Amino acid sequence: MKTSTKSLLLSIALCVPVLTMGEGSVNTDDAVLLPVRKDPTICFRIWFKVGSQNDPKGKEGLAEVTAAMISDASTRNNSYEQILDKLYPLAAGYDAEASVEMTAVSGRVHKDNLADYYPLLIDAITAPAFAQTDLDRIKSGILSTLENTLRYSSDEELGKAVLYNDLFAGTPYGHITSGTVAGVSSITLDDVKAFYTKYFTRENLVIGLGGGYDESLLAKLRGDLGRLPAGKPEEVPPPVPAAFEGWKATIVEKDAPATAISMGFPIDILRGTKDWYALEIANSWLGEHRNSSSHLYQVIRERRGLNYGDYSYIENFPHGGMRSVPPQNVSRRKQIFEIWIRPVPEETGHFALRAALREFAKLTEHGMTAEDFTITRDFLKKYVLHYAPTTMERLGYALDDRFYGIEGSHLERFRSMMQTLTLADVNAAIAKYWKKGTMDIAIVTKDAKGMRDALVNDTPSPISYKNPKPASILAEDKEIAVFPVKIKPENVKVVPVTAMFK
Amino acid sequence: MRWSIVALLLFAFCAAAERPAVADTFFPYKVHTEILPNGLKVLLIPMDSPGLVAYYSVVRTGSRDEVEPGKTGFAHFFEHIMFRGTLKYPGGVYDSIVTSLGADANAFTDDDITAFHLNFAAEDLEKVIDIESDRFQHLHYELPDFQTEAGAIYGEYRKNVTDPFEVLSEKVRDVAFDVHTYKHTTMGFERDIKAMPEGFEYSRSFFRRFYRPENVVLLVVGDIAIDKTMDLIRKYYGGWEKGYAPSNVPPEPPQKGERTAEVVYQGKTLPIIDIAYKGEAFHPASRTFAAALLMGDLAFGVTSDLYKKLYIQDQRVDALEASIPSQRDMPLFEIYARVKKEEDVGAVRDDIYATIAGFQKTPVDAKRLADAKKRRRYGFLMGLDTPDRVASRLAYIIAVTGGVDAIDTLYGELDKVTPDDIMTAAKSFFTPENRTVVVLKGTAK
Repeated sequence: MKTSTKSLLLSIALCVPVLTMGEGSVNTDDAVLLPVRKDPTICFRIWFKVGSQNDPKGKEGLAEVTAAMISDASTRNNSYEQILDKLYPLAAGYDAEASVEMTAVSGRVHKDNLADYYPLLIDAITAPAFAQTDLDRIKSGILSTLENTLRYSSDEELGKAVLYNDLFAGTPYGHITSGTVAGVSSITLDDVKAFYTKYFTRENLVIGLGGGYDESLLAKLRGDLGRLPAGKPEEVPPPVPAAFEGWKATIVEKDAPATAISMGFPIDILRGTKDWYALEIANSWLGEHRNSSSHLYQVIRERRGLNYGDYSYIENFPHGGMRSVPPQNVSRRKQIFEIWIRPVPEETGHFALRAALREFAKLTEHGMTAEDFTITRDFLKKYVLHYAPTTMERLGYALDDRFYGIEGSHLERFRSMMQTLTLADVNAAIAKYWKKGTMDIAIVTKDAKGMRDALVNDTPSPISYKNPKPASILAEDKEIAVFPVKIKPENVKVVPVTAMFK
Repeated sequence: MRWSIVALLLFAFCAAAERPAVADTFFPYKVHTEILPNGLKVLLIPMDSPGLVAYYSVVRTGSRDEVEPGKTGFAHFFEHIMFRGTLKYPGGVYDSIVTSLGADANAFTDDDITAFHLNFAAEDLEKVIDIESDRFQHLHYELPDFQTEAGAIYGEYRKNVTDPFEVLSEKVRDVAFDVHTYKHTTMGFERDIKAMPEGFEYSRSFFRRFYRPENVVLLVVGDIAIDKTMDLIRKYYGGWEKGYAPSNVPPEPPQKGERTAEVVYQGKTLPIIDIAYKGEAFHPASRTFAAALLMGDLAFGVTSDLYKKLYIQDQRVDALEASIPSQRDMPLFEIYARVKKEEDVGAVRDDIYATIAGFQKTPVDAKRLADAKKRRRYGFLMGLDTPDRVASRLAYIIAVTGGVDAIDTLYGELDKVTPDDIMTAAKSFFTPENRTVVVLKGTAK
């Protein structure tokens, strides 16, 4: 057991001391511990090494359904109604969320209420009832998400889902976590039980425990989780997305009030490596999430007022519309570079696409300037402090460190890299990982055929404004309007929205 | 506000009070309160958060203040305009300073509030006070910037309008209110958003009337020293001139009968029913309000009989929720249900009515009431673990009441609520003549 007693003594504050951010976690063979003695709450994150990549063919959505059968359903000792009644006065709950490669059962409770809470959490994980009525309710909710919410209520999430599904088609990453309508519809109790028995095993988990817990709690957790089935499932090989060069596009046709765009390509780089932090500097400058420092935001929103925001990513960032900093426990072995253009008026869709691609092309061609590099590096050095202010979030990061095999901590390395990386490092990373002229583009729009023709013919997309604009912007607009993005007809698909996630 | 006489004597030119964190108060942090001569109220809450500070400028103005016809959505629009800068720090310079601080900065607007917030490293406190005080006193923007920002607002509207709940909320307010400004959402009517580029002069008057020290509360939480922070705030905000001109928000006359409507959502959705009752303006000492808050949990929350029946057992709805908001004027107390089959909407509605009738006639079980109180207390306290979470939880109550003492008062009242109080609340608010019922249905099948 590799336990550092030094780290155990380090974190005593409720919040993260700036200078020791990310320190304090202890790795053992089966656990990641983050003791914070002054924290009046206790945080659990029990990580099972399973996700939607493990969904059997034809049962897409099974990992998500199984996770919900743990967190939102009955156990052998309590009906779901009884569980809700018992959790209610504790102001506590637990959640099980499946991502592509990880499923984390997480919960937080005040110390005062631990004795009442703990048996409920353990039962959820080790003694799910797998009742048909729970399965019916959970399936119905996921199907409604696929058929209604995703297809109609959020064109932004739809665009992102289309992009990921297309990039990873034919691989275990090739469907969103919620699966497909046919897959979810076909899931039976036997499917759930078999999936649970295979993947929710005592050899396939890592215990994450943080906050003001008592030493004895870990031993108890180990004992109780030891009741899970035995077995070490075979690891799914990392996905190998189909290689492509140049442009390709999927246009989803729907009666949308505006045009939503997501685009990207797979990249071979993961957090922890020097190049990742170098590329993150370039990415932050180009499109820091929900931040006006994003260059794409400046070009498309701030100067032209076309939409609400424009961002870029080198790691998957689910539910981006609802969070300002990255989530935890959605780690994956294959990431993509991604640009997110929030909905723009339909008549400016082609223009906005060109504007983003032009900025990306300029960056890949010329690299960052020394001034932008310094500003962005200094920004990130401090901005990363906001990534994990709570014990729960730090515990999530500590588990992700384990996923990526990072010794020490990603957040700590992030800060120290901001002291040492140079402009040359950043520009070398851009040249190595970002390809100019290659992009898979997902567009959600009303006139899909019109958009298809415009992309195939590389039709100019001039823009006009109702209000006066400075000459410099009008001059730049002329260049954007003819920036070449010609896509071969065979590389453009038009899909009706009703065909999505079938 | 519990003024300390000693403190009042100590500060000749400004009022100050130390609100003690003692065992008999519910809110666990010590709050330092001080009012500058120009009326700016400052609340400082030091907490154990080494190196981190949350800085909130709470403007006690929101879409509630949009009384002029054709100007709905302006409070929110103005929130955006506040990022366009000053002569000293033009928008781009302001942005680059925030970037250089690595601050997590944003803003939000609602019916009764516009709040601007930054989280940053404690060493940058003076810089943040400098740039924030500057834009609140000397905002400067030109017509083209103003018009460009109107485009971003329309973009935000387009992003939101695909959400059925947004469409429903627009309709419910419009039907339920006749004259009060809660008739429109914070986003505003689409026709008014379209016309925003024409409102340049109006926007300037908006700044002159509402962005004044008497209408703003500064809330600073985290790793701060009170004396040093106050010195900086006096230095940078001391010259800010008074001039707040409250808007004349028309009071809503009592509703005299049930209202119903349907609204169509352009797309596919499960039908949603919203049953909205006229509630009461927030007053922390109102036992009836506290009782209504708990009734929302007990009648429609996850442990309610109705939730168990409709969501878990019969599975006729996939969402059921009540909302009992704390607002400056009379808000809507709402109950929503998303129904799986259109033909069940009427039955679900009747089940909701029957539940309310039950709460009007039968006292709630004492243990369930005790559980609901415990949940509210722990839920609130567990959320107070970072400077930003403390500040964001206080911002609304500050906007509505002007301070944070309402928290102790409210939780004190919640503790005292009896089963009889719940029956009284059920009978006071949840009556047929006081309700508006709107059903939303999609166009696609």
